[in-house]
Amino acid sequence: MSEDLKPADMDVTPPSRSPWRNLSLVWVVPVLALLISLMVAWKAYSDRGVLIEISFDNAAGVTAGETTLRYREVTIGTVEKVGFSDDLKTVEVAVRVQKEVAPFINETAQFWVVRPEVSAEGVSGLSTVLSGVYIDSSWENTGAPAVDSFVGLESRPLIDLNEKGTRITLRVSGGKVISGGVPIFYRGIRVGRTETPRLNKAGSAVLIDAMIEAPYDKYLTTATRFWDTSGFAVSLGAAGLKLDVGSFATLISGGVSFNTFFSGGAPVTPGQVYELYNDEDTARENAFSRVSSRTLTVATIFQEGVSGLSPGAALNFKGLKIGEVDTLSAFVSDDSETPQVNQLVTFKVDPDLMGLPEGATTEEALDFIGQAVKGGVRARLNKASLLTSSLIVELVEIENAAPAVFDREAEPYPMIPSVETDLPDLNATMEGVMERINGLKIEELIARATGMMASIEAIASSEKVRAAPGEIVGLIEDARALVAGEAMQALPGDLRGVIEELRGTIAKANTENLVEQLVATLKRAEEAADSLYTAADDVPAVVAELRQVAAKVAGLKAEELLDAATGLMNSANALIDTDGARELPPALASALVEVRDLLGDLREGEAVRNVNVALSSAKDAAVSVETAVAGLPGVVNRLEGIVTEAEALIATYGARSDFNAETLAMLREVRTTARSIAALVRTLERSPNSILFGK
Amino acid sequence: MTARRAGLVACTTCCKVHHPGEATCLRCGSPLHSRDPAGLQNVWAWWIAGLIMYIPANIYPMLRTASLGHETQNTIIGGVFELIAYNSYGVALIVFIASVIIPVGKFVAIAFLALSINRASILSARARLHLYEVVEFIGRWSMLDVFVVAILSALVQFEFVANVHPGIAAVSFALSVAFTMLSAQSFDPRLIWDTDEADPT
Repeated sequence: MSEDLKPADMDVTPPSRSPWRNLSLVWVVPVLALLISLMVAWKAYSDRGVLIEISFDNAAGVTAGETTLRYREVTIGTVEKVGFSDDLKTVEVAVRVQKEVAPFINETAQFWVVRPEVSAEGVSGLSTVLSGVYIDSSWENTGAPAVDSFVGLESRPLIDLNEKGTRITLRVSGGKVISGGVPIFYRGIRVGRTETPRLNKAGSAVLIDAMIEAPYDKYLTTATRFWDTSGFAVSLGAAGLKLDVGSFATLISGGVSFNTFFSGGAPVTPGQVYELYNDEDTARENAFSRVSSRTLTVATIFQEGVSGLSPGAALNFKGLKIGEVDTLSAFVSDDSETPQVNQLVTFKVDPDLMGLPEGATTEEALDFIGQAVKGGVRARLNKASLLTSSLIVELVEIENAAPAVFDREAEPYPMIPSVETDLPDLNATMEGVMERINGLKIEELIARATGMMASIEAIASSEKVRAAPGEIVGLIEDARALVAGEAMQALPGDLRGVIEELRGTIAKANTENLVEQLVATLKRAEEAADSLYTAADDVPAVVAELRQVAAKVAGLKAEELLDAATGLMNSANALIDTDGARELPPALASALVEVRDLLGDLREGEAVRNVNVALSSAKDAAVSVETAVAGLPGVVNRLEGIVTEAEALIATYGARSDFNAETLAMLREVRTTARSIAALVRTLERSPNSILFGK
Repeated sequence: MTARRAGLVACTTCCKVHHPGEATCLRCGSPLHSRDPAGLQNVWAWWIAGLIMYIPANIYPMLRTASLGHETQNTIIGGVFELIAYNSYGVALIVFIASVIIPVGKFVAIAFLALSINRASILSARARLHLYEVVEFIGRWSMLDVFVVAILSALVQFEFVANVHPGIAAVSFALSVAFTMLSAQSFDPRLIWDTDEADPT
């Protein structure tokens, strides 16, 4: 240290004793730090949120401090503590929820742990595979006060509480059960899903709650029908093989569809119970509403047996099901002398199904039935199908039905009149038909038919057959003309007229006191009548012979045909030429002449004695004449028979010229005979009195 | 013998020695003080600020690591325990020393130095000077944790696969370290010798 470096007077400012005056600005820093720290601490505390407790049966994957609570996929809290309830039965999860959200978590809140899930409908919760599970939540913003203790769900609730729609319940009586979460379709559009199935209290049916989302829930009415579209359905019926396959998802996990098959359903209230049918056809057929509140009950009485009819059987009206049989009971009617067992059948009828306008009242429905009955509609039993013995009841319109009324005041229910059905006959007929079909020898028939065809072909192709028709037609026309002749037909009437005249004459004779010569006259009249009788008797004999010949000819073989035919003709000619036949008209004429003479004598003479005897004799004579004359139509008929047989004969032998000629000759003879008879008749017709009075 | 006793004032910025009476350094213009007029005030102020910031640095998470949607938050101590749980004892030790022992040691050392100015100390002035030098040297290494966090946050940004974000504690810790460093710098080691002079040995 050098000398010149003297210590200078130190200008040292002593540290101030007043800490406030000399406070350094640096102190601002710790104060700020403190303030900021306190602020952060206070903010952290105030933002801490609300602690809620959720109890789960199984909290797999839930970790304190890590697992988040989400609402609509946004984190709203974190699990703070995972512990057990006092009895270790449930896991208590304490979750710190953001305080902005906490006031909204009310008693409707649902919490569930989201885990990865793979189903037919897709994969959900995939992010949780890597990030771990989280707790999801859902609640209705009802404005209800906040709650801080909840019971968590095992899995995702199938119905989102915030979804708008209508909750319904499906009822499955039998068959397969739909699992939870199954989609519900309306005309192929997904409109809802089912919840987990549960049993009803009695355990007899499975109930499935389901949610139909808005706005599709407006298609629900009480007339809506639900059916199962799970998997695929194969049915073999009259329409052929039918395969129904829904969407891929329904193939695996199942599905439910609904539709409204008829109008008139009332709006539904939440919780409406629907029957779940096995398939669409069943649902459609079963459109009869079990839930319709306006079902009306009617009854009918059947006298016949109703075996095969059972409760639930259809009541059809014009082929459509409008109701079903409710009960069957029998009672004995005592209003007739013989007690009769009647079957009382009651029906449940749905007015909606009768096509009545929507909202029709029971009264209107009864009016409708009354009108129908007035129009002839009756209840009748019928077969449910051709092959089964079960019965249904149908309301059918019977033409000319016996008048009946729809008795609306009847006990116990309004009564529809019934008609009997020919049901047993139907059975018998069916059986008979079946037996006959069984008994048919089809093969033999076919063989014969084939043979017949061959024969017909052979005959038809022969020239002779081709030539025959023209001639035959001519012959037949001739014969017909003969038979249809006015004279021929008028003959019986004419003869009867003669008899009338005769009676009139006798009555006249009676008055004119012509009795004296009556005995002799009657004797002669008797003789005349006898001869007339004999003559008339000969004609049938001729015809019989002709017939025998014809039969003989018919039995002859082809080689002998010509000869036999010729012989026949000859015989016929000979027969016609016999005295009996030829003298028939003259005999008649002479008889009548005799009568005429007799009557002439009577008229001229004064034979009035023994009037009574004479009268009775005259009556006998008249009877004889009548008998003789009665034979004439027979003659005509036989002639006609001959012609017919001749026709048959000709048809058999075809167009042999000789034969034809002979036949025509014979017919000519026959015709001559007929003409003779006709002439006689005409004479009688012209002047019937001439026979009696000779004028 | 000190500068003060020699009647000289050294500029703390450029080390030019002036005669007393100069208010500012003739070379660099910095204000000249034989002793910091604020004295130990600044030391304590920074020390308190650092201590305040050290509290949240330990309470709040240092690192938020999100890996495949799985997010974890770790405080300093929590991270150490986790490393121990993974049997990474070496790393755990480094983290523990860098993030706990050193900062805490600095607080203790600075407080000890500041308190020992005006009273008798169990340590000699020379030992205390060495202590001060160690504190000042090692202070910057406390930032190791902060650096790790900063680098990780900058590099590990793989969206869903891996994601690292600094937590509040990182900022707090960085501030705490900075404040303690300032505190250590505010300490005028010349004061150590003042006491030494006043208490002649």
